[in-house]
Amino acid sequence: MIEARDLSKRYGDLLAVDRVSFTVERGEVVGFLGPNGAGKTTTMRMLTGFLPPSDGTAVIAGADIFGEPLAARRAVGYLPETPPLYPEMDVQGFLRFVARLHDVPRRELKEAVERALGRCGLLEVRRRVIGALSRGYRQRVGVAQAIVHAPPVLILDEPTVGLDPIQIREIRQLIADLASPRDGEPAHTVILSTHILPEVEAICKRVILIHRGRKVLDQPLATLTAGGARLEEVFARETARDVEHPGGAAEPADA
Amino acid sequence: MRHVATIASRELRSLFVSPVAYVVLTLWAVLGAFFFLSSLVQFQEILVRLQQFQMFDRLREMNLNDELVAPFLGTMWILLIFAIPAVTMGLFTAEKTNRTEELLLTSPITIWEIVLGKYLAACAFVSLMAALVAFFPGLLFVYGDPEPGKTAAGLLALLLVSLCYAAIGAFASSITRNQVIAFFVGLVILLVFLVLSVVAELGGAQGLFSGGGWAADLLRWLATAEHFQRLTEGLVETRDLVYFAVMTGIFLLLTKAAVESVRWR
Repeated sequence: MIEARDLSKRYGDLLAVDRVSFTVERGEVVGFLGPNGAGKTTTMRMLTGFLPPSDGTAVIAGADIFGEPLAARRAVGYLPETPPLYPEMDVQGFLRFVARLHDVPRRELKEAVERALGRCGLLEVRRRVIGALSRGYRQRVGVAQAIVHAPPVLILDEPTVGLDPIQIREIRQLIADLASPRDGEPAHTVILSTHILPEVEAICKRVILIHRGRKVLDQPLATLTAGGARLEEVFARETARDVEHPGGAAEPADA
Repeated sequence: MRHVATIASRELRSLFVSPVAYVVLTLWAVLGAFFFLSSLVQFQEILVRLQQFQMFDRLREMNLNDELVAPFLGTMWILLIFAIPAVTMGLFTAEKTNRTEELLLTSPITIWEIVLGKYLAACAFVSLMAALVAFFPGLLFVYGDPEPGKTAAGLLALLLVSLCYAAIGAFASSITRNQVIAFFVGLVILLVFLVLSVVAELGGAQGLFSGGGWAADLLRWLATAEHFQRLTEGLVETRDLVYFAVMTGIFLLLTKAAVESVRWR
C-alpha cells in the first residue's frame, strides 16, 4: 500500500532524512518511532506530498508521488502534528469542505460527513464552531478530516500529543477501530508517528525506528518484545548506538 | 477546476465571519457617502459662482459626469488603495496561522486552484464594494441626467482597478505569515503604482530618462492613473483593458510562485 524508496530530504547542508525505505501492506498499523528531531515529520510530509523528497520516491496505493501526485494525495488521509482547522467554521461545514477538496462525489458527500462525524464521536458538536471546541474535540475533528474521504492510507503525526489520559485512550481506540473496522468498512493502512512507547505497544503491529534521519529498525512488535524485552529498552539501545552520519540530522522547527 | 468554487465559497464565508469585512464595508459606504455629498456640494457651489459672475459659456459646459462623477470616482480609487489590502491581507496568511496550508497542499488539488479560488473570493468582495459605490452616481439618474455610457465607463474603471488591486493584495498576503505585514506590503505596492506616474512626469521634466524617454513611458504605462482616467473620461479602449488584465495576470503568477515556494524551501 505504501512503498518508500530511498526517501531523502536535504535542507541545505543538513540531511534530515537519509535514504529511508520501507513497505507497508494493506491493513497494517505501523508505528513510526524515534526521538524528537529524528526525521519522522519530514518523512511523513514527503509521503503526503507536502514536501518533495530531495531524492528517492514513494508509491502510495499504486500512484507514484512524482508521477501521479494528485492520485497519490487522494489516497492519503493526513493528520499533521497541529490539526489543520479553520476556527471560524463549524464542524460539519469544515468536514464537507475537506470532502469536496478530496473529490468525494456530490451524492456521497452527506454520507461521508455523517460517517466521519459518527466514527470520531462528533455528532453532538457537529454544529459548533471549531474555535470554541476543547482541545480533545479539536483533535477528533483533525482525525475526522483525515478519514472523511475514506482514504486507504492514513498518516497520523503524533495524534495524541497534548491530550489528557482519557482523550488519549479515546483517540487510540479510534485509531485501532480504523485499522480493523467491525462493520464491514474498508480497513485503513495506518502510519502513526509518536515518541510515546506505550502508544506503539497499544495499537501498532510493526515498528519502524528512525534515528538521525536513518531507518535503524523495522520489525514486527511481537518479535521485538519476544522473550520479555521491553520496547523501551530496545528504543534506548537503538538510539544510543551512534549512527555514522555526516552533519547530523534534525527536524526543522516547523517551517 | 471544480475545486476553485469550493475554495472560493469557503473563503468568502470566512471573510464574512470576520469583523474585517464589516469594518471595511461600513467605512467604505460611509466614506463613499461623505465624498459623494462633498462632491455634490462642491458642484453646486461652482454652479452658483458661475451664475454670480455671469460666466454662461462656462456654465453651459458644466456637466455631472466631468465635474461630479469623475472626481468622486477618483477619490474612491485612492480609498481603494487602503481598503483592498485590508480585504486581502488574510487570504493566505490565515492558512499559515491555522496550519491549514498543510491541508490544502496535501489535498489532491493544484496550486492554481488554490490561488484562483482565493482570488475569486476577493473578486466577489471587491465587486460588492464597487456595487456600493455605483449606488451614488445611480442617485443622479433620479434627479438629473448624467450620461449613462460615461458613468458606466467610470464605474467599470473602478471595478477593474479593484480586481487588479485584489491580485496585488493576494500576492502581498502570500509572501508573509503576518496579516499586518501583508496589509502594509500591499499598501506600499499600491502606493508605488499611484506615485509612478508622478515619478514619470518629474523624471521626464528633469531629463533623468535619456534614450528616447522609453523609461518614462514604461513608468507611465505601469502607473494606474492614466488608464483609470481615460476610462472615467468615457474612453473604453483595448489598451487600458489589456493593462488591467496584464497586471492582474502578473500578480496572480507571482502569488502562485509564492504559494508553491513552501514546497521548495
